[in-house]
Amino acid sequence: MRTSLQAVALWGQKAPPHSITAIMITDDQRTIVTGSQEGQLCLWNLSHELKISAKELLFGHSASVTCLARARDFSKQPYIVSAAENGEMCVWNVTSGQCVEKATLPYRHTAICYYHCSFRMTGEGWLLCCGEYQDVLIIDAKTLAVVHSFRSSQFPDWINCMCIVHSMRIQEDSLLVVSVAGELKVWDLSSSINSIQEKRDVYEKESKFLESLNCQTIRFCTYTERLLLVVFSKCWKVYDYCDFSLLLTEVSRNGQFFAGGEMIAAHRILIWTEDGHSYIYQLLNSGLSKSLYPVDGRVLKESIYPHLLCSTSVQENKEQSRPFVMGYMNERKEPFYKVLFSGEVSGRITLWHIPDVPVSKFDGSPREIPVTTTWTLQDNFDKHDTVSQSIIDYFSGLKDGAGTAVVTSSEYIPSLDKLICGCEDGTIIITQALNAAKARLLEGGSLVKDSPPHKVLKGHHQSVTSLLYPHGLSSKLDQSWMLSGDLDSCVILWDIFTEEILHKFFLEAGAVTSLLMSPEKFKLRGEQIICCVCSDHSVALLHLEGKSCLLHARKHFFPVRMIKWHPVENFLIVGCADDSVYIWEIETGTLERHETGERARIILNCCDDSQLVKSVLPIASETLKHKSIEQRSSSPYQLGPLPCPSLQVESSCKVADAKFCPRPFNVLPVKTKWSNVGFHILLFDLENLVELLLPTPLSDVDSSSSFYGGEVLRRAKSTVEKKTLTLRKSKTACGPLSAEAQAKPITESLAQGDNTVKFSEENDGIKRQKKMKISKKMQPKPSRKVDASLTIDTAKLFLSCLLPWGVDKDLDYLCIKHLNILKLQGPISLGLASNEDHFSLMLPGWDLCNTEMIKDYSGVNLFSKKVLDLSDKYIATLPNQVGIPRGLENNCDSLQESNTIVYLLSRLFLVNKLVNMPLELACRVGSSFRMECAHNNMRSAGNDILNMSSFYSCSRNGKNESHVPEADLSLLKLISCWRDQSVQVTEAIQAVLLAEVQQRMKCLGKTPVNSQPVSMAENGNCEMKQMLPKLEWTEELELQCIRNTLPLQTPVSPVKHDSNSNSANFQDVEDMPDRCVLEESESPGEPRHHSWIAKVCPCKVS
Amino acid sequence: EEEFRWLLHDEVHAVLKQLQDILKEASLRFTLPGSGTEGPAKQENFILGSCGTDQVKGVLTLQGDALSQADVNLKMPRNNQLLHFAFREDKQWKLQQIQDARNHVSQAIYLLTSRDESYQFKTGAEVLKLMDAVMLQLTRARNRLTTPATLTLPEIAASGLTRMFAPALPSDLLLNVYINLNKLCLTVYQLHALQPNSTKNFRPAGGAVLHSPGAMFEWGSQRLEVSHVHKVECVIPWLNDALVYFTVSLQLCQQLKDKISVFSSYWSYRPF
Repeated sequence: MRTSLQAVALWGQKAPPHSITAIMITDDQRTIVTGSQEGQLCLWNLSHELKISAKELLFGHSASVTCLARARDFSKQPYIVSAAENGEMCVWNVTSGQCVEKATLPYRHTAICYYHCSFRMTGEGWLLCCGEYQDVLIIDAKTLAVVHSFRSSQFPDWINCMCIVHSMRIQEDSLLVVSVAGELKVWDLSSSINSIQEKRDVYEKESKFLESLNCQTIRFCTYTERLLLVVFSKCWKVYDYCDFSLLLTEVSRNGQFFAGGEMIAAHRILIWTEDGHSYIYQLLNSGLSKSLYPVDGRVLKESIYPHLLCSTSVQENKEQSRPFVMGYMNERKEPFYKVLFSGEVSGRITLWHIPDVPVSKFDGSPREIPVTTTWTLQDNFDKHDTVSQSIIDYFSGLKDGAGTAVVTSSEYIPSLDKLICGCEDGTIIITQALNAAKARLLEGGSLVKDSPPHKVLKGHHQSVTSLLYPHGLSSKLDQSWMLSGDLDSCVILWDIFTEEILHKFFLEAGAVTSLLMSPEKFKLRGEQIICCVCSDHSVALLHLEGKSCLLHARKHFFPVRMIKWHPVENFLIVGCADDSVYIWEIETGTLERHETGERARIILNCCDDSQLVKSVLPIASETLKHKSIEQRSSSPYQLGPLPCPSLQVESSCKVADAKFCPRPFNVLPVKTKWSNVGFHILLFDLENLVELLLPTPLSDVDSSSSFYGGEVLRRAKSTVEKKTLTLRKSKTACGPLSAEAQAKPITESLAQGDNTVKFSEENDGIKRQKKMKISKKMQPKPSRKVDASLTIDTAKLFLSCLLPWGVDKDLDYLCIKHLNILKLQGPISLGLASNEDHFSLMLPGWDLCNTEMIKDYSGVNLFSKKVLDLSDKYIATLPNQVGIPRGLENNCDSLQESNTIVYLLSRLFLVNKLVNMPLELACRVGSSFRMECAHNNMRSAGNDILNMSSFYSCSRNGKNESHVPEADLSLLKLISCWRDQSVQVTEAIQAVLLAEVQQRMKCLGKTPVNSQPVSMAENGNCEMKQMLPKLEWTEELELQCIRNTLPLQTPVSPVKHDSNSNSANFQDVEDMPDRCVLEESESPGEPRHHSWIAKVCPCKVS
Repeated sequence: EEEFRWLLHDEVHAVLKQLQDILKEASLRFTLPGSGTEGPAKQENFILGSCGTDQVKGVLTLQGDALSQADVNLKMPRNNQLLHFAFREDKQWKLQQIQDARNHVSQAIYLLTSRDESYQFKTGAEVLKLMDAVMLQLTRARNRLTTPATLTLPEIAASGLTRMFAPALPSDLLLNVYINLNKLCLTVYQLHALQPNSTKNFRPAGGAVLHSPGAMFEWGSQRLEVSHVHKVECVIPWLNDALVYFTVSLQLCQQLKDKISVFSSYWSYRPF
């Protein structure tokens, strides 16, 4: 599976709909989790002051979420489980937003209880589930596989609700359930663990008919260990747990439906209703002690009665709608609150802080508890509106100045990198997707304004509901064609290059809900046809060449779910929502057959090429497709180190064959159910970017001159060099220090000596070449250049998305200056994919969720506080590597820039791979990685390994005798540790990026020195102190860069010396000569390229 | 807009009322326990037979969603020997399909009753969501009846049904009871053991509603093959009614949804 895909969400101004169907608060009271009818989960941050802020959306379920529950001991693992209407179950990590485990079972759960008995159970415990099936299912909390079930011997039926009773008195855990028919059943839990594990049937211990229907909740009073609260929709009852005798019945008044309840203290009960009200009752004893009047139901019944103490209610507002899902969280520990919470269909969350001792007013009338907090997703979007602009707002803002158009449909064309957006007012905007994304994300719109202008197509009078770009589905069709359908059932065929209307189809059938194209193998009169599904459940077939409507099938009673094509007999098979099937003859337009039930199912199954009309979230399948295509095309790269020429061929192939070209950049439009609020997701493929960027300079060379080819090729590998250099460097730096350094082959050191002489010449030569190269570059480049610049732009955008802007002002400035990237407008919403169809997206304002971050870094694109620590650690492990940027890159801005970007990306890619890699793979890859590098690094690194203490290095040592570059190994080790510490990928990536950028930027000033005689560099660095770069220094640096572009060595000035001493804070004085020498030893004829590829390739294999 | 408001306030409730009535009627057929005052659900006898042969005859007694009695007469084709089995007195067999369908209907009714006339619908989306939820329950109810579970032969052999007879079923007989559409079906499989060294290549049969002769499976340590299949069925009239009610109410729901969406699409782009 590929994990190098990074997603960035571009939200619109409107929050996606989130109709809450399930709600829970995690045990640490830090997070509220809600499940929605749309199928997403939302994580909300709950601060210490009980303030709510939405943090991220979790995508994965394709149907409405039915219930949420804790899935582990929360203090150990912050996992929750969610179940959906269609039987999907997911275990999520609440802190990272990752899907840990998923399963689809043929059961629909309505309630889940987590049960773990530490001393009798192995594994992670059970999920006890009930729902639309008989009895209680036991599901393993770790694997989500069905373990067994609790069976009932009498009246097996669906179970409505359940609770687990831990009774101290009898030292036994019991499971209490109430069935749909109102039957109370009790199973022994702890004593039947063994039987369950041996798959023996366990039957209920007790069973009692409760004489009420629609049970909502059953709760055991842990304070008295006596009372049992059972809430039905029309009444609530209190039973005695000892003998299940009824103590009290309270019937609902004025048509309210009870929804649940909880025992909040001894004899104190909280009951809530479906319309969001809640009541706290005190159960009063009428003074007659129970023991005096034993076992007389009547007396008992009279002995308690409820007294209303407090009540809560929600404010009336317009969007409020039933039902409310509510819950109560009771924590007796101090920093925690007693919280009553509710979620609405409108997506609003309301919290009440219930006082420890609720009391009524002095006159005995109930007191109203005020609402503590209330929040919606939209509030998040409103509060952080700069972050929550849709992708197109910038352009529509330019267009009319006032009021932005609402995008109602959009389509991305990868081959042209165009984004087509249909708007609510009937206009269609076509833009370059990358530019649109840049305009949306980055500061400084002026840079974007001079980009190719967007096109506006005007033809529709109603809002555009669907778009289709036929060429994207079948390359045989005209590249200029684009279809759009609107609310008024008008379908327009456009030429997107000339912006003219080719044809208008008027269907008179309600809004066009979707446009589809027949599969490639289905042709009518030699052409593929367009199928258009309308909101009045009719289906129209359009022939584009003939500009005619072939068939309008109008007989369907229910919404169309599926369209199938029968190529042989020219049938159109329409599957409807009620499982019926209509078969239409396309030529004559007549209804051939209408089938329902079993036969319909057979017909639908027999044709394999189906087109799903209503996929709830196209994103999942889309990413899947994206991934599978990439998998295919990237496979040749897994062969290992390839010689340069073949690599080049590979790349040209890729560019030529646009269809199979994995795009490093992709835009996914996402729409949600029940509304037309959509948003876009930008997908960056890190691996692909790295691949694409590497061959780019090579192609440039080819087009410019063959003479310099060899030389420039080497420069293209500067990234390669950088890495190998660092390896060498670090080793020698370490070598003299340790005793085993003597074991170093003498020949090696000799070679070093020889190379030193050549060093300066070599460097000059390269520099001269570069100079030539620049002049060549000024000339217009062939068409492939466009692609190359696009890739570079993508890479830049990607980097600016990841950089922690605002952490260090100077660093920001340097990045803008030298990487030529722009600052973000605000923190971005990053996506995190945990597998093919489960991923999470940050919401606007997520950055304010980390309370500790608010003080120091507001408005900073920092994923978490951890990043800073991590990057510090990272820097600490590579003190020897500082010299990375050599004179090579300093020579011309554009080249250096791209090289730096390539380097950074490859680094990130490595980190990404490492963190994502499963543990068992780590060692293998590590060893193979070393094998590949071995021929480049013949030096023994045994001494390095001695320095390491972690078991990682130990395992490596056992497997392969040394040959490990110290710096990289320690980095590997560090990153592997991160993985073990469950550092998130994004955090790791950002940390590494921050560290690398800091390193590079600070070293930039020093590089000119390196290109000068070694002695000078030494002098310069002798007085070096640990100081942060100053602004004036960067100006200096600029000067130097300019000077450096001159062909030969630049004169050394005292000014420069100062600047160097300021900047090179991480350098080791002794290192300097060594490093230069090493650089020498590397220089000509060495197959450096191989080593670099070798480094990337084994990572890819995983 | 005025019209839409009328639709929301009056028309929706009218339709909901209609729906409720229909579903109440449907649920009556299922004799919901606890909903009425009737004691134990009344017993109905169904005589199952096929028109062609009289090799298998069954009299099944249905009590609500449970089979309370069963009498199966089987004429062995070989020796014309007549076999007779009946349920043990104390046992009942729940017909899961009927129970599930009944529960789905009561869920749908519950959804509808929670939005009675006193409830004011404020947005169209609210109605749409309610309709979706109701339709989901109804489709499930209908599907439970129209699609019997596809069981593998070992699953049938392992089910409790085969163990409920007195005298116990001989080891070469399997029995299955299910609902298909409006019909109560009884299938009897006659088995014979495959020789362990037989040349026939053994391929266990997958799940199916009705297995055909020749299907093979492994049970215990034995390999068995179905030699004869007998299927008898009988129409349950009230199931037929219930299915009709389901279809009618589903159409009602869809019509209401269509009405709402027509308005909402012209009204505005905001959440309807």
